Amino acid sequence: MFKKLLIVATAASLLTLTACGGGDDSSDNSGTAATPAASKLIVIITPSPDNVFFKAEQDAASAQAKKLGYETLVLSHDDDPTKQSQEVDTAISRKAAAIILDNAGADASVTAIQRAKDAGIPTFLVDREINKTGVAVAQIVSNNAQGAGLGGQEFAKLMGNKGEYAELTGKPTDTNAGVRSQGYHGVLDQFPDLKMVAQQSANWDQAEALSKTQTILQAHPNIKGIIAGNDTMALGAWAAVQAAKKDIVVVGFDGSPDVVASILKDGIKATVLQPASKISEMAVDQADAYIKAGGKTDQPEKQSVDCVLVNPDNAKSVTDFAVAS
Amino acid sequence: MSAGKTSAVLEARNISKSYGGVRALKDVTFTAHQGKVNVLVGENGAGKSTLMKILSGSEQPTSGEILLDGEPVVLASPREAMKRGIGIIHQELSLFPNLSIAENMFAGRELRRGGRFVDSGAQRRRTREVLKRLGQDRLDPGTLVGDLPIGQQQLVEIGRALLEDVRVLIMDEPTSALSNHEVDVLFGVMADLRAQDVTVIYISHKLDEFRRIGDWVTVFRDGSLVAHESMDSTDTGWIVRQMVGRDPDSLYVRNSSPVGDLLLEARGLTAPGFHDVSLAVRKGEVVGIYGLMGAGRTELMECLMGMRRASAGEVLLRGKPEPKGTVQARMAGGLALVPEDRQRDGLVQTMSVRDNILLATVARFTRAGLLTGGAEQRTADAKVRELAIKSPGLAATVTALSGGNQQKVVLARALLTEPVVLLLDEPTRGIDVGAKAQIAALMADLAAQGFGVLFISSELAEVMAMADRVLVMARGRITAEFTAQTVTEEALVTASASESVLEGQQ
Amino acid sequence: MTDTHVAAPAKTAAPPPDAPRNQALARAALLLLRGRTLVVLVLLILIFSAISSEYLTQSNLILMTKHVAINAILAIGVTFVILTGGIDLSVGSIAGLASMVSGGLLFKGLNVPGGTVFFSVAVVILIGIVVGALVGAVNGVLITRFKVAPFIATLGMLYVARGLAQLHSNGGTYPDLAGSAARGNEGFHFIGVDSLLGIPVAVWIMVLVAVAAIVVTTRTPFGRRIFAVGGNERAAVLSGIRVNRIKIAVYVISGACAALAGLLLTSELGAAYPDTATTYELNAIAAAVLGGTALAGGRGTIIGTVMGAFVIGFLSDGLVLVGVSTFWQSVVKGAVIVFAVITEQAQQRLQSGLTKRTA
Repeated sequence: MFKKLLIVATAASLLTLTACGGGDDSSDNSGTAATPAASKLIVIITPSPDNVFFKAEQDAASAQAKKLGYETLVLSHDDDPTKQSQEVDTAISRKAAAIILDNAGADASVTAIQRAKDAGIPTFLVDREINKTGVAVAQIVSNNAQGAGLGGQEFAKLMGNKGEYAELTGKPTDTNAGVRSQGYHGVLDQFPDLKMVAQQSANWDQAEALSKTQTILQAHPNIKGIIAGNDTMALGAWAAVQAAKKDIVVVGFDGSPDVVASILKDGIKATVLQPASKISEMAVDQADAYIKAGGKTDQPEKQSVDCVLVNPDNAKSVTDFAVAS
Repeated sequence: MSAGKTSAVLEARNISKSYGGVRALKDVTFTAHQGKVNVLVGENGAGKSTLMKILSGSEQPTSGEILLDGEPVVLASPREAMKRGIGIIHQELSLFPNLSIAENMFAGRELRRGGRFVDSGAQRRRTREVLKRLGQDRLDPGTLVGDLPIGQQQLVEIGRALLEDVRVLIMDEPTSALSNHEVDVLFGVMADLRAQDVTVIYISHKLDEFRRIGDWVTVFRDGSLVAHESMDSTDTGWIVRQMVGRDPDSLYVRNSSPVGDLLLEARGLTAPGFHDVSLAVRKGEVVGIYGLMGAGRTELMECLMGMRRASAGEVLLRGKPEPKGTVQARMAGGLALVPEDRQRDGLVQTMSVRDNILLATVARFTRAGLLTGGAEQRTADAKVRELAIKSPGLAATVTALSGGNQQKVVLARALLTEPVVLLLDEPTRGIDVGAKAQIAALMADLAAQGFGVLFISSELAEVMAMADRVLVMARGRITAEFTAQTVTEEALVTASASESVLEGQQ
Repeated sequence: MTDTHVAAPAKTAAPPPDAPRNQALARAALLLLRGRTLVVLVLLILIFSAISSEYLTQSNLILMTKHVAINAILAIGVTFVILTGGIDLSVGSIAGLASMVSGGLLFKGLNVPGGTVFFSVAVVILIGIVVGALVGAVNGVLITRFKVAPFIATLGMLYVARGLAQLHSNGGTYPDLAGSAARGNEGFHFIGVDSLLGIPVAVWIMVLVAVAAIVVTTRTPFGRRIFAVGGNERAAVLSGIRVNRIKIAVYVISGACAALAGLLLTSELGAAYPDTATTYELNAIAAAVLGGTALAGGRGTIIGTVMGAFVIGFLSDGLVLVGVSTFWQSVVKGAVIVFAVITEQAQQRLQSGLTKRTA
């Protein structure tokens, strides 16, 4: 019995010893890291840069941060909240000065952002909102509802306010998919002669949009227009329209360079440009001001930036999600 | 061991069983005598296993009735038979090698504590009791079954049945994988069970073995019961005559062809499992390797065939060294192996009889790179005829064949590669007397045609009857060599069993 | 050891005259189960054409077949692997990588010292397929030489190949693959968009791939060896089959088929993006399983796989055509796959039952 006790005691003391050793190391580290208290790192987290929109968002934020003298760490969460959470942890352990985040889910992202806040790291949300205020310092989004209204109006005009059309919606779990669809319908449902004959989700994906459009065109050969929740789906739909050799109005949302190029070639008819670059720059500027002011901001948390309609009239002046004025 | 006065515990009356239009059992009336070892013999397909399936509840008879203690019973399922005290041990073991002895014993019927948790302590205690009854007191119930030699695994399987308080224990060829020593242990256990008034029904092919233990012998042929006698009043010749319907003297054909050039030679061959083995096989010669399981025989064969790398030594084929040591190179040099475990190493179970026969030589039947169905069909058909393989057709899956015929399929494949030396690892294991005789005749015939044959056997009678020369292997080495003229049973056993396998492995 | 064999007649073309009627029924059921993929397909067509008059039109059938083509080609490749008892989870990613490599060559050419080189479409397609085959070869070598379990090796490759596809363009899309006369690389749309004799080129390519695969699996020694390796690897070794070579070969075939499918998809889309064919490996494996390929290896047919791809494709398109939501599409597809596996096992049982009886 005594022997057993002795063993346990020895083991425990050994454990404590090693734990202490580890503790010493880490406190040393934090000590040295704490000296330049305002670290010069801005962590930028966005969805997959496969989509040119997020790529532009990343690039603009990164460029602006570097211009202001920061280091950057650019990460992608691929719309996976778990991965996003791990990346926020990375930002915390690297003791970032601020996080610029295009989040992976209005509800699923709240805890991760709160965790950053608790660690003293301010988060500036771009492009997508979350369902809670007071957690992030700023939520700067393009006005999706306003933009969808613009897109809806242009689509109705192009259709001559009548005829059958189909809608391709985005990933059902993404807030913007719903907001945009509602924005479209807010306009389109006012025209009794505009009839939606099919509505399918293509999950923001180009190939899926192509395949589903082809099938929809089979079922409804009289379709005169397709309105898509983003530009990659519009491109997929346009490929199907071209293959079917039909004359169909396609309208997208985002203002991506590929769609702008298509508009210039008289392909896709219109898109709604989200000022991605501008939003990213705004977020970085505000982060910079916040850091320099020692954790204060004079901006409201919720800010929205209006979208711009792109059609053949102004397509020439669009580059990288920005319209030259 | 006299049959004396006995009472019937389990009786089958006028049992017939048909599968589709085929009658597997024809009006069989069989009696198992209480507290005796009742031996069932007969060629494969004679109906023994079908009767046992019916007696153990896994099949239902087409007609007839079963009586237990004189009362008619319906054995609707193996579980029901078990409940009535009838247990069966199958030829293929059904143990979990990754679990301990105790866990295996109670697999599926774990002892509970508090209704939910497995009571390992009680299981181990009960297991130890059962192991003691089996004369295995030294065995720890916590040992993994996969670490036990096959003989002890067999005993664990018997232990499972004993846990259920069996009155009738059916054993379907339990010794086919056992060494002589393990068989002795098993027979000791059977004698003890008999002494405890347990009735044993024992299916076997091994004439010399079951004569030692059996009290009653029942012979089946072609679905009928042809004889039922007390063992004392029979002799081996009589039993074989009943089984095959002809004289036993013609059973084994001895090779008598003149011996010619060296075909296969191993010099100082060493690999995990055996050490410094040298041997030679000449043209027209049948060489037997006798030894216990675990003596390194199978490892030696696999190394000769190129399935295992040799760490030292060399193999010469027709006088030339073959250094590559791959299966392809050895095959090209004229070796072909019929493996011991045909299910594991021989047959492709998902393929047809034809495709299995042609597997090693399929590249020969092509024109412009494509297989020619006609040539395949003809070649496979010729082999099926030559080896008298009984099958429902060339396109049938190979698993539909009986054990002996499956063995012949593997043999056919090996012969098609046109070997000069045929390696046979336990060619007669698990097959019936008739098929054994055919295989023996075939070996002699091959030798007469100028082939060399090297085979492994753990049956004394067989190796003595068939081999021109016998090499004895024990613990990874060749310990003795005899010619057919000088070999005696005693000499073989002495050379093979310097230490028993059981101890050798512990 | 089944005791019924000896008593049986050696030949069993017809059931014995006194065979009970339920055996004939069992045979009929077996026939139905063997052809179950076809039965399901016919049922699907009947159901959907009852709901929508647009389903059973020539143009829709052609369109659906075109959609099937991509998954069928992927699934044929995967079937080779599954027949050997392996699995290939990397085909979707390989399709994406091949798409990006070929798309990049068409869109921006290859940078060499002294300028940029553009290759003709045929060469670009060939390079894409070779890339797929090479990735497959890496899978094969990992599995045979380094003894990595196929599931793990190809799971790793799923990530590696997808990552390489993203690296290729730094995440971006190659938007315009039309090429130009000046560069001598026009015509990529031929394989994915154009038709020959009223049938899309992609469908012709699927037919060619399927016929070639059927010939290889059923009429060549190589095919026979694939089945042997999957059925019992040790027996295959003993029969002198170079098992490792066969295994590497099937992963190469799978990679090449995946690349080809990726190129068809890219050609049809007119754009290459790194997420091309994400999760397509699951559809391909599902098609193979639906078509009766046993995941344990050694059992299966190419024609079954193609039929499986038709069932999945005709089902998905039908659900879109009649306007069912994405969520229900997933539920229905999953249920059909599980049902197929259940019937597969029923078939195995019935089959072995019948063989025993007639043997």
